[in-house]
Amino acid sequence: MTRFIIRRLGEALIVLAVMSFVVYGLINLMPGDPLDLMIASNPGWTAADITKLRAIYGLDQPMVVRYWHWLTAALQGDFGYSRVFTLPVTRVMGPALLQTTKLMGLAFLCTLLVSLGFGIAASLKPGSRLDRLINFIAFAGISLPVFWLALLLIFVFAVWLGWLPASGMGTIGGGGGFFDSLKYLVLPVITLSLSQIGNLTRFTRASMIETMRMDYIRTARAKGAGPARVVWRHALRNALIPVVTVLALNFGSLFSGALITETMFGQRGMGKMIYDAVLGNDFNLALIGLLFASLLTLVATILADIAYAVLDPRISLS
Amino acid sequence: MTDLAIHDPVAASEPLPQAARSVWSLRWRRLRANRVAMGGLVLLIILMIFSFSAPLVGWALGVDPNHTDLLARFDGASAEHWLGTDDAGRDVMLRLMVGGRISLLVGFTGALSSALVGTVIGLVAGYYRGRIDSVLMRVTDGVIALPLLPLLIVFAAIDLKKLGFSDAFMRSGDANFYRIVVIITLVQWTTVARLVRAATLSLLSREYVLAAQAQGASARHILLTHILPNAVSPIIVATTLAVGQIILFESVLSFLGLGILPPTPSWGNMLNNAQELVTAAPVLAFYPGALIFATVIAVNFFGDGLQNAFDPRSGTE
Amino acid sequence: MSVVALSTAAPPPILELDKLEISFPLEGGRILRAVAGVDLTLARGETLALVGESGCGKTTLGRAVVGLYPPTAGSIRFHGQSGGTTARRAIQMIFQDPYGSLNPRLPIGEVIAEPLKIHRIGSRAERRERARELIQQVGLPVDALNRYPHQFSGGQRQRIAIARALAPEPEIIVADEPLSALDVSIQSQILNLMAALKESRGLAYLFISHDLAAVHHIADRVAVMYLGRIVELGRRDALFARPSHPYTQALIQAIPRIGQGKRRRGRAIAGDVPSPLAPPPGCAFHPRCPKAQEICRVERPVLASPAGRPDHAAACHFAD
Repeated sequence: MTRFIIRRLGEALIVLAVMSFVVYGLINLMPGDPLDLMIASNPGWTAADITKLRAIYGLDQPMVVRYWHWLTAALQGDFGYSRVFTLPVTRVMGPALLQTTKLMGLAFLCTLLVSLGFGIAASLKPGSRLDRLINFIAFAGISLPVFWLALLLIFVFAVWLGWLPASGMGTIGGGGGFFDSLKYLVLPVITLSLSQIGNLTRFTRASMIETMRMDYIRTARAKGAGPARVVWRHALRNALIPVVTVLALNFGSLFSGALITETMFGQRGMGKMIYDAVLGNDFNLALIGLLFASLLTLVATILADIAYAVLDPRISLS
Repeated sequence: MTDLAIHDPVAASEPLPQAARSVWSLRWRRLRANRVAMGGLVLLIILMIFSFSAPLVGWALGVDPNHTDLLARFDGASAEHWLGTDDAGRDVMLRLMVGGRISLLVGFTGALSSALVGTVIGLVAGYYRGRIDSVLMRVTDGVIALPLLPLLIVFAAIDLKKLGFSDAFMRSGDANFYRIVVIITLVQWTTVARLVRAATLSLLSREYVLAAQAQGASARHILLTHILPNAVSPIIVATTLAVGQIILFESVLSFLGLGILPPTPSWGNMLNNAQELVTAAPVLAFYPGALIFATVIAVNFFGDGLQNAFDPRSGTE
Repeated sequence: MSVVALSTAAPPPILELDKLEISFPLEGGRILRAVAGVDLTLARGETLALVGESGCGKTTLGRAVVGLYPPTAGSIRFHGQSGGTTARRAIQMIFQDPYGSLNPRLPIGEVIAEPLKIHRIGSRAERRERARELIQQVGLPVDALNRYPHQFSGGQRQRIAIARALAPEPEIIVADEPLSALDVSIQSQILNLMAALKESRGLAYLFISHDLAAVHHIADRVAVMYLGRIVELGRRDALFARPSHPYTQALIQAIPRIGQGKRRRGRAIAGDVPSPLAPPPGCAFHPRCPKAQEICRVERPVLASPAGRPDHAAACHFAD
């Protein structure tokens, strides 16, 4: 098992390394360059000054060399400076990561509970009215644009009913305390959660139906086990296996949803950070942000593989 | 060498069966029976008619979707403007129609191009196996494992001038459209690639493929005559479902200001517009999103129906 | 070279397998020797049957002859040459599964003409004409050309497969279990068709089968394979009447015969076929052989003519 983990981590590192090169190249294609702000605020500089400045910052060297400099610095923990936030990148990422974790974690839990409930309920009687209703809801869920959902919720709950705040992370001026910040999280969490429910419900349902169809369930039933017992002990455990993998594999989509949600609700999480960085031509922050998001997604994939292997003894790790 | 016809002991004793229904008509019948899928198809056709008849309707009503009239902002429904006007006095309905046209075009074009790229990659990986397959699959898995939206955002923010595209090209409306289609293709090809690779691997062991290989048939012949036609069903299903996915991507990007840029309307950027106006004119936020929702759900229902028609064992029913 | 010579006036063989080995590398570094050293010849117009149980390597041998597997060692020579496009065209194959051997997407006319298309023989119109001829020669009506495989029965599909194999005017047809997937009543029809075609076109067959009754009907010579090697080779009548190798003897005893009584049953073969990954040392058959002695465990017997039977060969220390 450890060999498997090490191998997967190794592969992930390679992917990450390749990605870092590709993303570095992409980021460099963003408009402007790290010096343009400085140039703009110093109109007195001549072309010669600018060339000298470029040389000092190493901006006149070929991309591969600059990438190497960046890589060596990054591996030593120096991630550079964010010009949008005028702080070192690490100072920006820490709190952003925390905020996103809160958002994604809570949304993840809600999605899990609701989807499992819906999925299992639908699978108990395939083809029934309940099943078709849940199926429809699930389809609606996967077809819904997240940002539209957010707009609708904002309109209903913030503008029309006035129950919840439309955006932000806490009452301005601070001093709101824990419950106050919770209030600001309600709409974002609901939005993000709703956007993921459709997919997971469908998957849970399909997985449960598949499992229930299998012969050993019929055997258990034939042996006289009551339906509840059958569901709980046999079917659930085995149906959860693919569900777990889907959850982890959907991490990327959850993160993308979080990006939209944070942007719409003004939550200063990693998603919004990346968005602001890209729009603000903040090379360092965008680069690190994107790589970090990719790293998280890769780790989630590995965890999914491990969980899958642990839960289903039939799968070998070789 | 003309030969003597072989007689009696050899003629087939069984009669030739009546021309049975072809595989495709069987599938069509299964699809027709699926009311939800048919509903999706009908809805999709309605939306397509709605969107693509924009020039006609505009001409008939004498309305230009780009014509701003600051004296007629936020008007309600009227005989001239069936759905009222927006914050710049432009006709809402016509903008919705034109926006729909763009979004649908991006959806279809993007789905087709990502299917094309995915098919080629899947065929190559599945047919040649070995090192090529290994590398291609690593790349595919790598792309799948990434959070797509952040990646799309970075792609969308690229300054094409740095890549050598001219200024004039950049300013044309078309450049915008192609840019979106290209970046969406860059992330969307993976589903089809995986499907095609799996199909190719499985089909390569079929005996009719072996028969052709024993003749020394070229890769091109085998891929085009034997593999591709038999792999078509999953490609069709995946491509149909991709349309919905792509429309969602495009609308998010446009909403974030990175996709279709104003003044060209797209459902996504109309929602961006509407964001600030949630208090003043919430209806403006409702229509574009509702249309996106309707289109995507129609595509999903239809695509799901296709999947069931092609392979009834893939039980969602 | 060839162990069994036909009569001295016979023309040279058109197909020669010389110390042929076909091995496949497996996961974990192991090697599967499907064909472990085979010498065979095939003369013009001759039907050589290749019999044996599952896993003996006969299918692999057949596929190698057709060009699907390159020899790991040894050679396959057609008219004295290895490889080359003539062999691809002149050696054709009929497969076991009539349901898997035709592309469901192609109409029959294109199925039959495909080899011509691949070898670029004839124009489109000529190919269509040829398909028309062929479909009739295998006993099916012309309007079958526009239909699709799923509209035909197993036996009819096998006819179509035969027509396809005949298209490039081959000299040799390798038939890999062509009857096994068919109903018994249809089997004889197909067998008769194959026999008639052989007569009229001077075709040579490499007829691979585990069905000895069918082999008896169509073969000129018979080769018996066990775990990748030929263990007996001889003319059909001689082999059936006086099998020399214990394995052949047991196979022939096992042929069901109506009205036979228990007397003729003979000894059944003990045990199962060993895995080709770990063949027994010495003579591969010795663990199951009623005649096995010490020497059989130690020394692998080579294919040689038993005493007094110059036209026959068996790989056994105690051949009859």
